[in-house]
Amino acid sequence: MKIDPSVCLTRRRLLGAAAIGASGMAANMAQVELLSQPAFAEQLQQADKSVILLWLAGGASQLETWDPKPGRPTGGPFAKIQTCIPGIEISELLPKMSSRLHETAIIRSLNTKIADHGQAYEVMDTGRIREPGVQFPHLGAIIAHELANSHSDVPDYVEMYTSTEGRRKGAAGYLGARYNPMFLTESMMPENLKRLESIRDADHQERADLQRYLSQQFSMKLRNPIVDSHNTAFQRVRGLMSSDYLFDIERESRAMRDHYGPTQFGEQCLIARRLAEAGVPFVKVARAWWDSHGQNFETHQELCADLDFVMAALLDDLKQRGMLERTLVITLGEFGRTPQINGSLGRDHFASAWSCTLSGCGIRGGSVYGKTDEDGKTVVEGETNAGDLFATILAALGIDPKKEIMLGSRPIPLADFGSKPIQEILA
Amino acid sequence: MTFQMTQWLGLVCVLTCFTKCVCVSECVADDKLALSVSIDQNLQQTFENVGVTPAPLVGDSEFARRVTLDLAGRIPTPRELKEFLADTEIGKRERLVDELMVSEDYAFHARNELDIQLLARLQWNNDWRAYLLQATREHRTWNRVFCEILLPEKMRPEDKGAVAFLKQRANDLDAMTNDTSTLFFGVNIACAKCHDHPLVADWHQDHYFGFAKFFKRTFATRSGLMAERFDGDLKFTTTAGEEKRAAFMFLNGESIVEPELSRSAEEWTEIRAKIKQAESNDKADPPPTPSFSPREQMVSFALDSSKSNLLARNAANRIWARLMGRGLIHPVDQMHSENPASHPELLNDLANELADHDYDTRPLIRGIVLSDAYARGSLLPDSAQLPSPEWFAVRAARPLTPFQYALSLWIASKNPDSLPGREKPADWPKIREQWEQRAEQFARRFEIPEEHFQVSVEEALLLSNSPQVEGEFLRNQSDTLVGYLQSVGDEQEIINAGFFNVLGRAPKEDERAVVRLYLGGRLDRRDQAVQQWVWALLTSAEFRFNH
Repeated sequence: MKIDPSVCLTRRRLLGAAAIGASGMAANMAQVELLSQPAFAEQLQQADKSVILLWLAGGASQLETWDPKPGRPTGGPFAKIQTCIPGIEISELLPKMSSRLHETAIIRSLNTKIADHGQAYEVMDTGRIREPGVQFPHLGAIIAHELANSHSDVPDYVEMYTSTEGRRKGAAGYLGARYNPMFLTESMMPENLKRLESIRDADHQERADLQRYLSQQFSMKLRNPIVDSHNTAFQRVRGLMSSDYLFDIERESRAMRDHYGPTQFGEQCLIARRLAEAGVPFVKVARAWWDSHGQNFETHQELCADLDFVMAALLDDLKQRGMLERTLVITLGEFGRTPQINGSLGRDHFASAWSCTLSGCGIRGGSVYGKTDEDGKTVVEGETNAGDLFATILAALGIDPKKEIMLGSRPIPLADFGSKPIQEILA
Repeated sequence: MTFQMTQWLGLVCVLTCFTKCVCVSECVADDKLALSVSIDQNLQQTFENVGVTPAPLVGDSEFARRVTLDLAGRIPTPRELKEFLADTEIGKRERLVDELMVSEDYAFHARNELDIQLLARLQWNNDWRAYLLQATREHRTWNRVFCEILLPEKMRPEDKGAVAFLKQRANDLDAMTNDTSTLFFGVNIACAKCHDHPLVADWHQDHYFGFAKFFKRTFATRSGLMAERFDGDLKFTTTAGEEKRAAFMFLNGESIVEPELSRSAEEWTEIRAKIKQAESNDKADPPPTPSFSPREQMVSFALDSSKSNLLARNAANRIWARLMGRGLIHPVDQMHSENPASHPELLNDLANELADHDYDTRPLIRGIVLSDAYARGSLLPDSAQLPSPEWFAVRAARPLTPFQYALSLWIASKNPDSLPGREKPADWPKIREQWEQRAEQFARRFEIPEEHFQVSVEEALLLSNSPQVEGEFLRNQSDTLVGYLQSVGDEQEIINAGFFNVLGRAPKEDERAVVRLYLGGRLDRRDQAVQQWVWALLTSAEFRFNH
């Protein structure tokens, strides 16, 4: 297909300085792009579901959160409280959540075996044990791959990780860099999202049109998906730049900001809600540092207060906006903490019997899955692992966990081979 | 004891051969293009069998861009390209290739490629990169580099560089096992860890654990050197639930038996104490070395071509893949009986070429880049069906590696008069090193191409909006392309110069018209208009790929 420059140029405002926004050439180019990608229609996916992952970095104690054992030698000083769901009790450190479990399922029977930060991150990030030579994608990349619209104006996958402890950037592995996260560490505004002052907006747009014109002359003939990914990435730049307002909580009312509270975690969760609302499929907000080898109880008193306030605010807000049924909120870390209280009144790494929660989209609220023994040392009922958790998350979003990605001649299912969703907590 | 001595002597013997200088011109003096001809004959057979017409060969400027990227790791400077185009003597492509292969650039690029193959995905390591550069500058042969990396404590005892491949993986037996097997032998045996390979009859759990056992005793000392213990066994549970003791088994199924040695309890105590010291104290003496070294056994096995040709086949296949965009065996880590080469005889020829030249990779590389197969166009006639990639009838467009891209951006954005031609100034090695350092800050932000490579949004945003990109590549100054273009008088010439400097070609008529309109609509901000147009060229797909 040959492009006649006069056709796209005569109608264009490329020539003048006045034009702002979408231009004739861009539209023309979009058609060219469509023609060069016969599979385009199949790629149109509906990004109507989202995940917000509250990442409890360092490993929160299940005993001070979702699986309390007061009165036992391992129980620690805090009591348990009755929740709004008859028969379900959680730690008194989560009072707000205790009245909001209608949309939440608690899993109390994770046995992920690995209690070393580095390897445990990998297991909980990817839902699998590491395998040399294979770069497994992180949960966010899997979800983005399944849910993102290929030409979306919003990011596919955003991670907020402000503290330095346990900071690890998510990775798309074999799904390709298209699904890498926007990784926010210092500032809550993503890097390179703002136009430099040295170029006016109209020029920035038309410069991109010119680049696209030059690029597509080349890529149309090649018909190579790797080359096309270059154009796709650049085509998303302007849209992403226009999504900068999503990261700006000044745009929320005072009342809404107060609702999420003044903490950084609260503000980040408010941003996460803004992103989910705009169709971002996956947002991870990390809250550190739960690694309480010493002073476990003071640490949890402080961190649980933040978690309780913010998680409750987030669920309320999502529900009030009618978003909860399409938004899955996960609280998870790399592992839990030992029932045994050590000499520094701390709890150490523990991966044999710990908890997480799933709320909202696709989840049967007010349910508890699995059970630990009276001291919380072992799982006695419903033992489950990272692969099953991933399968459950995918199933809750309506994605088939057994769907396979071909890595060379090897089919790899989205959730680890042999894993099964926990049907009992699915809606 | 005798057994071990013979083994080690064998290894030493192989190693002494490394000192022999192998000169490209001598090796191929008989028929400098014999390998290229044989490559093309081999592929021609396929074209005839499947009835496909291969893409026509590219012109000189496309060839120069392609081969300079592949051998020098960067686009040609405008002056280099002009000089090449002006050359009318027969054999100009051979001359260019030979020139590039002895250049300073060649060593830097070969270093960067080795780093990508062996470590860069896991770790950025300056000592390691310095070691690799030394190796590529001296044109060390592949079998020597293999020994240095897998036996750092024997080959380069004090070297903190060569040690990195193992050290980075030292705490992870599976990583040492599978990465060595994948990267040096083209055999990904990870599947065989948990079960006999479901698709491939070649790989059983015995192979996986047999090969792993060669690494079982390997550890890193506190001071960061590699060493081996005197004992250490490896047991595994078969899928049938039976516990089994692994043999020292190479990938082809041959195994060796550890000689019986008797040591007194006191000797053991002393050995273990010293090893413990070395593991815990960075000031401790190097630990004692066992007379039976499993890793060394593995290395000498791999070097013995009467037992295994995997080392040469893997290197030949990976070099082909790097230059041609796809392995003769594809994917490159699936070298086994269920996944035959697309051109088995050709792969044998290439592997033999490498082995016949004592693992000097240069004759092989030279043979490939001077073949017609290498010089085919990457564009298809408009309506043609896409031929199957394993026929090599059309060039695959390959994304630039991080350093290729960063260096090329740097070159393309400079004032062309400030860049050398084919004749290099006396201080060229120093200048080239500075380019490399300059490129690093960007190179480290670009993705390393993988099989499922995609350009990331992060990269597009970086190039679109980063002040560093603007400062480095789009400044309007006398030493930059943007500045240079302001000094060229006629608009026709400006547009020609921009296209030539960045893309190495003249603009097509429609491109010229578009650029003229773009610049003409911005007469009130001419400098910025030129800047924006140069940006559009630098960030175009055509520039981002080697095609």
